[in-house]
Amino acid sequence: MTVLPRFTSAVLATVLLASTATFAMAKDVTISVWAGGTGPTNDYRIEAIKMAVDVVSRQAKISGEDLTIKIESQTWTGWDDFKQAVTLAAESGKAPNIIVSGHEDIGPWSQSGLLRPIEDYVDFDAWPLNQLYPNLIDVSSYDGRIWGIPQDAEARPFFFSKSHLKAIGYSDADIEALPAKVESGEYTLYSMLDDAKKMQDAKVVEPGKGFMPRPNNGTDYWQFYQSFGGEMVDAESGKLVLDRQALTGMYQFFVDAVEKGVVPATYLGTTWDTWHQAVAGDKAGIWHGGTWHKAEWEAKWGLKDFFGQMQYSLIPAGNEKGRANTITHPLVYLLSTGGSDEDATLAAELITTASEPYINALHAVKSGHLAIGSAEATIPFYANDRWTTVATEGLLPKANAIPNNSDFGIVWKAMYKGLEASWTRTNSVADAVKAVETEVRNALGDKIVIR
Amino acid sequence: MRTSSPHRANLLGLAFMTPAMVLLLGFFFLPVVLTSVFAFTNMSTATGISGGSYIVTGNLLRSLTDEGLDAKTIEALGQSSYVIDQAGLEKARAAGVDAKFITEIGERLKDRSFTSASAFERELKTLPSRPTRVRDLKIAAGAFEQSVLNVRYASRGEMEAALLHMLENPPQGAIERIATASYTGWTWTTENFKNLLVAPDTWRIVGNTVFYVVLTLAFNVLVGLFLAITTFYLPSAGSSFFSVLWLLPRITPVVLYAVMWKWFTWEDGFVFNIAQDLGLPAFNYMKGSVASAWTVVILVNGFVGASFGMILFSGALKAIPVQQLWASDVDGASRWQQIRYIILPHMRWPILFVTSYQTLSLLSSYEQIWLTTNGGPGSTTTVWALEAFKTALNNYTGNLQYGLGAAMALILVAVGLVLSIVYLRLFRFDEMMSKPKIEF
Repeated sequence: MTVLPRFTSAVLATVLLASTATFAMAKDVTISVWAGGTGPTNDYRIEAIKMAVDVVSRQAKISGEDLTIKIESQTWTGWDDFKQAVTLAAESGKAPNIIVSGHEDIGPWSQSGLLRPIEDYVDFDAWPLNQLYPNLIDVSSYDGRIWGIPQDAEARPFFFSKSHLKAIGYSDADIEALPAKVESGEYTLYSMLDDAKKMQDAKVVEPGKGFMPRPNNGTDYWQFYQSFGGEMVDAESGKLVLDRQALTGMYQFFVDAVEKGVVPATYLGTTWDTWHQAVAGDKAGIWHGGTWHKAEWEAKWGLKDFFGQMQYSLIPAGNEKGRANTITHPLVYLLSTGGSDEDATLAAELITTASEPYINALHAVKSGHLAIGSAEATIPFYANDRWTTVATEGLLPKANAIPNNSDFGIVWKAMYKGLEASWTRTNSVADAVKAVETEVRNALGDKIVIR
Repeated sequence: MRTSSPHRANLLGLAFMTPAMVLLLGFFFLPVVLTSVFAFTNMSTATGISGGSYIVTGNLLRSLTDEGLDAKTIEALGQSSYVIDQAGLEKARAAGVDAKFITEIGERLKDRSFTSASAFERELKTLPSRPTRVRDLKIAAGAFEQSVLNVRYASRGEMEAALLHMLENPPQGAIERIATASYTGWTWTTENFKNLLVAPDTWRIVGNTVFYVVLTLAFNVLVGLFLAITTFYLPSAGSSFFSVLWLLPRITPVVLYAVMWKWFTWEDGFVFNIAQDLGLPAFNYMKGSVASAWTVVILVNGFVGASFGMILFSGALKAIPVQQLWASDVDGASRWQQIRYIILPHMRWPILFVTSYQTLSLLSSYEQIWLTTNGGPGSTTTVWALEAFKTALNNYTGNLQYGLGAAMALILVAVGLVLSIVYLRLFRFDEMMSKPKIEF
């Protein structure tokens, strides 16, 4: 009599236990990814993670794990709102698992405890991270630790309208030789202003459209500081540097550009659409942008023949103290301290898989960005793309990056404020430089070297 | 005759006041108190809001060297090694590392030490039971690390204990000094106010703010008054139509209102095309010149304020005893004389209210400017409230300086309070609020 119920109970218990074991093994994980500066041509910042989900899920299945990964993504086209969202979400304990942002955010975000050092979660000796360019790993590092995995790289070139150069007397050979002249320092920013003025005088471009710089704040403006010999970091002490002479040269250059009439005093704040329309539509003489803009001009602004319409070069030197240069501003995949360690481990696996050369090449070619590793540069899909190849070989080796330093934002904000004030003639160049100096000295004290 | 208890009346009064008091507490006093607290800190993105931790990093060692901490201590702090000892094995077990893997580490690597994580991890990867997941390998390696470098401690006590463990015979006061310097969170300071006082930019923004408030306020009050009086004299059907029309800027959602202004003033917009047809300079009037940008900023805010003034003034006009106007008609008074000698004297209270309310409202408003010129071209139309918002909460570099922004906001609160008192005295508010001298 008692045998059967005991047996039944045992079977029931086994079934119940087995079912709970199955439940325990089945794992549903949601990984959130937030990306800034991401538009339609940059969608592989998120898509790459989604592709990685497929690979990691298959790996889990083969290993006998029942793993379901769901990606919740959110993108911002700009930076102000994105950085505000990330910072405030993190403060309220709602940071996404993966953040795609500029490398310069590593400084402040790592100090505030918003980030996990990614080196604790991934193996840089193993594929695909062992083929990443070392300089990009450096850019993703801060204070002796690697915090992020580079997501892309780029260069920020100067562009010239070939037809307008021809209109002021340039031959095809002259146009071909221009990048070399820029690089050697023979063709300076002031030579460029003269050409922009000639284009306006020849009536091939409208007044105020001879030179069309970036219409708002961006890494690009540090290039002009470097053109006049400015350094952002003191190599010896590692401290931030503010070079008054370089800042003066840079501000004066934009004031001179205004006085020459090639750019309006009220130019800053022009909309991106106006800028894209003018430069892609061959209405501007000379401008500067990023390697990725080519993709946008072709996708949205009707550019048909990039190489036939535009010449590109480094940012010219401003004077004999400066150098021709370009800045790369890699975005990085970062791991936030939000969520559990288990989630972060999975997120890191996804980032690693998304950095696989074949996957990252999709982003690079589609968005006009550059390879993050040596193996990626050899993938035919990437290597046979003319623009990415010339940019990788011709511009990227000469590129440097802005520093990862938790205080750099203060200097940057002050630099741009001074630029706005002098450009719009609200302040004289000397007063603007003085204001920047006062602001950074008060805020940073001896954490910055003022030369 | 019924009498009520004064005590009960007081309680009833209190009950009626409670919702207002709660709102005042939640939406004014509490934000002001928090702003005051933030204003005296160096809170920023880097320090975080909720408190910091204690961590010794390479940069910290460099700055401690600059500050003269002895080389021996610096060297000891910078050391990082991986020692395979019993304590490490125990720590690995506690961290949940696979038992078989721990046994292999104990058997094959006991008493060995490594100077870098990568060298130790490479060695671990040769063991048969190594974990497949990278993170598990890192956790196992971390258990054997003997260093304070880059280790984040939640409290000062933990940091000091770790320092004591690492440093043999530290110099007098070194532990406290390192622990203090290793704090990543915010600290109390009055520097925000000092920095604002000496920054040349401050006075430019103050100038912009005064210019913006005075001109917009004048527009609000004068146009509001003009509209109220003209609609007062219109037949009622027409006056209702115009009143509703002038209300549009106020009832339209702010973002939509800003977008409409963009259509109106940008390249290829309404004004642009009209100017082109008339042969006048055609450009982006919102951002293309400082004068036109200011005009747009003042008009955008002015129309919103004018409709507010119009509503209040219209209400006040209707309260004027109409007999006085009839009497003046009989006496042959002109419209202007009616306005000058009857209407305006009756409007003192609403004018006071609109002026003081709008001054405070304009001082703290930035939304319309943010959405239209965004303080540009350059930063020529940047006002105090917009600068405070950008400093504390929204800027391109993502460096949110909560402390400095809060100091700017606190100054705004102080200016607002001072102006309120000035207005109350100037318009003799107490007289207006005093009990009527005639008993009703």
